[in-house]
Amino acid sequence: MPRQTSAQTPHLALARVRFAHARPAAESGPAGATRNILNDADLAVPRGAFVLLTGPSGAGKSTLLRLFCRLEEPQTGQVLLDGRPVAELPPAVLRRRVSYLQQTPTVVAGSVRDNLLLPFSFKAAADEPLPGDAALQTLLESLAMDDVPLGQEAATLSVGQRQRLCLARALLTRPEALLLDEPVSALDQESARAVLDAAESFCLERGGTVILVSHADFVPARVAPAHYRLEGGRLTWMGA
Amino acid sequence: MDGGVINIETWRLLLALVFALLAGGCSLALKLGLGRDILIGTVRTFAQLFLMGWVLGIVFAVESPWLVLGLFLVMAAAAAHTARGRVKESAVAFAWPMYFSMAAVYLLITITVTGAIIHAEPWWKPQYFLPIGGMVLGNSMNSVALALDRLFSDLRARAAMVEMKLCLGADAAEASAEEVRTAVRAGMIPSLNSMMAVGLVSIPGMMTGQILGGNDPTQAIRYQIVVMLMIVGATALGSTILTLIIRRRCFGPGDRPLLR
Repeated sequence: MPRQTSAQTPHLALARVRFAHARPAAESGPAGATRNILNDADLAVPRGAFVLLTGPSGAGKSTLLRLFCRLEEPQTGQVLLDGRPVAELPPAVLRRRVSYLQQTPTVVAGSVRDNLLLPFSFKAAADEPLPGDAALQTLLESLAMDDVPLGQEAATLSVGQRQRLCLARALLTRPEALLLDEPVSALDQESARAVLDAAESFCLERGGTVILVSHADFVPARVAPAHYRLEGGRLTWMGA
Repeated sequence: MDGGVINIETWRLLLALVFALLAGGCSLALKLGLGRDILIGTVRTFAQLFLMGWVLGIVFAVESPWLVLGLFLVMAAAAAHTARGRVKESAVAFAWPMYFSMAAVYLLITITVTGAIIHAEPWWKPQYFLPIGGMVLGNSMNSVALALDRLFSDLRARAAMVEMKLCLGADAAEASAEEVRTAVRAGMIPSLNSMMAVGLVSIPGMMTGQILGGNDPTQAIRYQIVVMLMIVGATALGSTILTLIIRRRCFGPGDRPLLR
């Protein structure tokens, strides 16, 4: 299988990873059977790369992202961050270094500010200084949310605004990698553009790694993504 | 009359079956389909209580602390088994931790009540220890079942919220703190409601027993207050400890949520 290579240790990597789900009862096939999501998959993503991952619905694109932050565990093989198995890192540390953004934005009850400061309420961030309102407002502006006051109830935001809020919240944890799970599938054009712009900026300006799962063909405006396709348990490099 | 209590003769006891027949009649008339349950429930009531009476007779006569503790542990196992049956969750193995925690927590509470508050001598005196222990177990069984059922259902219903917090650097305890609070609250509410209604809506079991036995109602009240407070404490402690222990089992290695 052709794949992107690097002389350096890849930032994110899969080494002969096998992952199978129990087959849902509704699907055809023998009872108790499993459905292969990844079949001895290899992947090497250099630091600062922008990976576009496509594939049919149910192929396991989300599962692949979730393996990198240990929301799923592979049956065999290794998931690596900077050449080190992710299982060796404390989970909270790993998940702040490799930030996974859910497909459906999830906000807690409270204001936009409460949501942005949520990651700082956990023990893993005990030593980190709280960002001030000015920094939070600047961050919101970078996501085209200039008109949203920090005191506004998060529940009153539109889906697109909530997704941008979730991305801003993830960025505040200063991750090295962003795993974006179909972040724009339910968004209006303005919100989608703001999210994708922020992902490209994260890659270009911060040197962060991005893996973006998308149903539709997506062409980033400013970066040249490495395109992989996941189908039938096989991960195929489609070119840059 | 015998020691202040009117004895119920066998034929009068059988007369009480008229109430079971009444319930059966309702089931037939309204096609409730509960006839079998009413029959089994009636037979079990007779069988289990006669068996309990027989066992208690032996335990009271032998007066051995080991026998008292053994019977308490059997009662705790039955309570844990019943509570386990009421919680519909198969993805998390929680039967054994539930049994050990229930046995330990409720044993401690029962010993505190009989030894320190009622001041029974010895503290395991079966006439005090077993009824008190039974009340602790019976009430706590319901609260534990309610708390765990709520914990599991909330962790499933709010899986995205828990996962979101994990992704922002929370550990399993931080990510599920809200679900734990709701579960413990759900376990405690019935006993708190009973405290609000006691003496207004009903004369509770222990007090009724003492009054029927010819005791001074003011003394019966004191026992009932101890029982009510004991039940609130037991349900709070039991729900909290069980929920915290079993919450840990809802997450796999790497704080990976198992309920989705």
